[in-house]
Amino acid sequence: MSIAEPVDLDALAPSLPWWRRLVRDPAAFLALIVLTIIVLCAIFAPLISPHDPYASSRAVMQPPVWSDRGAWLHPFGTDGQGRDILSRIFYGTRLTLLIGLVSVGLGGVLGSLLGLLAAFRPRLDPWVMRLVDVMLSFPAILLGLALVAVFGPGAIPVMIALAIATVPDCARIARSIAVSVMKQEYIEAGRAVGLSDLALFTRYLLRNCISSILIFISLRFGQIILIGAALSFLGLGAKPPQAELGMMAAQGRDFLLFAPHIAVIPSVMIFVIVLAANVLGDALRDVLDPRLRS
Amino acid sequence: MKRLTLTTAVALALPAFAQAAEITVVREVDSNNYDPHRAVARAAAEVLFMLGDTLVSLNPDMQTIEPGVAESWDVSDDGLTYTFNLRDDVYFCDGKQMTAEDVAYSITRWVDPETKSPVAWRAGDVESVTAVNEFTVEYKLSEPFSELLYQLTQSFGTIIDSANVEALGEDFGVSGFNGSGPFCWVEWTPRDKMIIERHEAYSWGAPFHTNTGPASMEKITWQVVPEENTRTVALLTGQSEITQYVPDIALAQLRDAPTVEVVRSDLAFWTYFMGFKIDKATVSDPAVRQAINLAVDQTAMAEDLFFGEVEPAYSYVSQGALDWNTALDDTLLTYDPDEANRILDEAGWELGSDGVRSKDGVRLEPIAYVFAGSTWGKISESVQAYLREIGVAMDIQAFDATVAWGRLATQEFDMFGMSFPYVSSGDALNLYFRSENMPTPNRMNWNDAQTDELLQAGKTALDDATRAESYGAVLEIVHDAAVWLPLYHEPMVVAQSADLETVVPHNIYGAGLYKGLDLKFKE
Repeated sequence: MSIAEPVDLDALAPSLPWWRRLVRDPAAFLALIVLTIIVLCAIFAPLISPHDPYASSRAVMQPPVWSDRGAWLHPFGTDGQGRDILSRIFYGTRLTLLIGLVSVGLGGVLGSLLGLLAAFRPRLDPWVMRLVDVMLSFPAILLGLALVAVFGPGAIPVMIALAIATVPDCARIARSIAVSVMKQEYIEAGRAVGLSDLALFTRYLLRNCISSILIFISLRFGQIILIGAALSFLGLGAKPPQAELGMMAAQGRDFLLFAPHIAVIPSVMIFVIVLAANVLGDALRDVLDPRLRS
Repeated sequence: MKRLTLTTAVALALPAFAQAAEITVVREVDSNNYDPHRAVARAAAEVLFMLGDTLVSLNPDMQTIEPGVAESWDVSDDGLTYTFNLRDDVYFCDGKQMTAEDVAYSITRWVDPETKSPVAWRAGDVESVTAVNEFTVEYKLSEPFSELLYQLTQSFGTIIDSANVEALGEDFGVSGFNGSGPFCWVEWTPRDKMIIERHEAYSWGAPFHTNTGPASMEKITWQVVPEENTRTVALLTGQSEITQYVPDIALAQLRDAPTVEVVRSDLAFWTYFMGFKIDKATVSDPAVRQAINLAVDQTAMAEDLFFGEVEPAYSYVSQGALDWNTALDDTLLTYDPDEANRILDEAGWELGSDGVRSKDGVRLEPIAYVFAGSTWGKISESVQAYLREIGVAMDIQAFDATVAWGRLATQEFDMFGMSFPYVSSGDALNLYFRSENMPTPNRMNWNDAQTDELLQAGKTALDDATRAESYGAVLEIVHDAAVWLPLYHEPMVVAQSADLETVVPHNIYGAGLYKGLDLKFKE
């Protein structure tokens, strides 16, 4: 290859597989790395945690290592009960991610199916969408409060509440995309060549909508983590001594003026997870959406 | 015209030089109303003491009864009849003179079943309260009540104006209140602020006040600021002049601040504890309750969670309280986790592979109901961590105050967190350990005939020695049975602006500023 022959990378791009195009975007690549590290830390929390996340000690409110009085024994310092914040971050991230994944997964699948069905079968449309409207009228936090009142505090009621809260938004997005897809000529062409409903639904409708739904879900993932953290912040999500990022931030609130790291570190962690999820969601859309491919 | 402008300018500038005698007190919560017979919150008491007067007053030493609107009183030998001689110079805020009729009306309304006062028992078993003449009241009991004078110092015994109660109906203590205290009701915005103004005619303050009236402050605003860091900042920046609601963590900083002074009194009787519902399988074994008492390090909790600002509690009432049984001082259960484990082993509670003990199919996983919020959050998590060390997995369930009281009246929990103010041992014991008070406030289901008998003996005692002996015996019984896990005694800490004369915190019902008569800007 001589210098005189510049290689046009962009021209090559469409032919590359989607994941190669994804990692060529530096922001997305960084987000992917960060998220991978976070997920690995969460999965292997019991192996990598330097201390028992539930054991309190008399060393309360120890500053993190970057502060003057910090020590490597507790790299992120300790909280108001003398528990190691780094270990709690590992465990807390685990629960936070689990709450986010389960609720977005459940709500996303259910919501998308409802939305696509409404567009695919116009007869069902008013029924499905009115149901969705009813669900939309319950704010996620209120729903969480109600479920916790019935089942008691814990991660499961929060997951159910967040899943239910994800359904209507997801259904609306899926429907709006599906309605425009249904008007495309290739759908009619598919019908004309005698494709079955199932094939039409999966191969034509779903495949043309999935990228937009995925981007919505990945953006929603960030929001759900935030709402989940908010519910835990209010004392509804995780139950002590469990660690959850929102709850850790709430517990640190009392020390904000004196030992800000107790609240700031979990909050930064929430911020990083949400930011990485959003950046990655955006990048996924760029590489997956057929309409953006040209 | 020029002169007029100048005069106006001077007039406008003047208030800036002379310090306006107005202060803002920040506090954590509001009361649901200010009817002395229906409101039991500390938030109500601290305003009611300023708005109204009681027959007798409690000295800041928390032991001595001093005059209030009654300048003297006699107790009959059988302890059944109290005769109060009222001052003849007491006036309500609307200018009406207070007479024996008002006192009789107030007490009668307090104990009237129709009032549904949750604190009616505090007035004793009232047979009748009558006005003998304009300034003499006869208070008749059907059985002696050794605590009566102490109870009458509380805000529940505030003398109210019958015309005011009847005029306002359900809105009494909500839209207005005509009292005879050093301050008068101006305006209340629930959950925001309560504004009260000086009662100019007031001159009948109790003798232990440096100022018996009228108050030095012209206006006091009780401002609700739920967030504790915000209250600290309000004090530091001068938006509030005084408060008793400062977080323990901020006290060291406030003590160093040149604009703030911190005053502390250890005569405060406000105790935090966790109780056991003793008929629940998890905690019915006294060995378990004893072990839990031994497993928790109250001293470390007081130092680490509350920065040494509270007193670790090993006794159910403060050891400085009236009628505390000093014989128990050496028998109190203190931190000894090895002994706790030994007791549980000996009692047959075997440690499982998951670190939780069990016996006969019962796992040591007591459910603990606590109030949601940072205080009980940190207390309960700390206790939970200590109990983990002895194989007890306490399950914390926190409820918002709006539902917590209802939940705490059920039989669904094994342990519960609670804190309470009291004036004496008898006050605390009669409230929590009488079998007739099940299921609430006797949430332990402590049902013991001997306790009931001794409490009755203490309550109806005619002399101090009998009363002290009876209550002392009850204290011994309940401490032996380890019915509670005492946690800490909260002292009264008031943080005030250095511009104010140093206050003497009062501890009655946790209302640190009491009547507000001693609040005064430095000259």
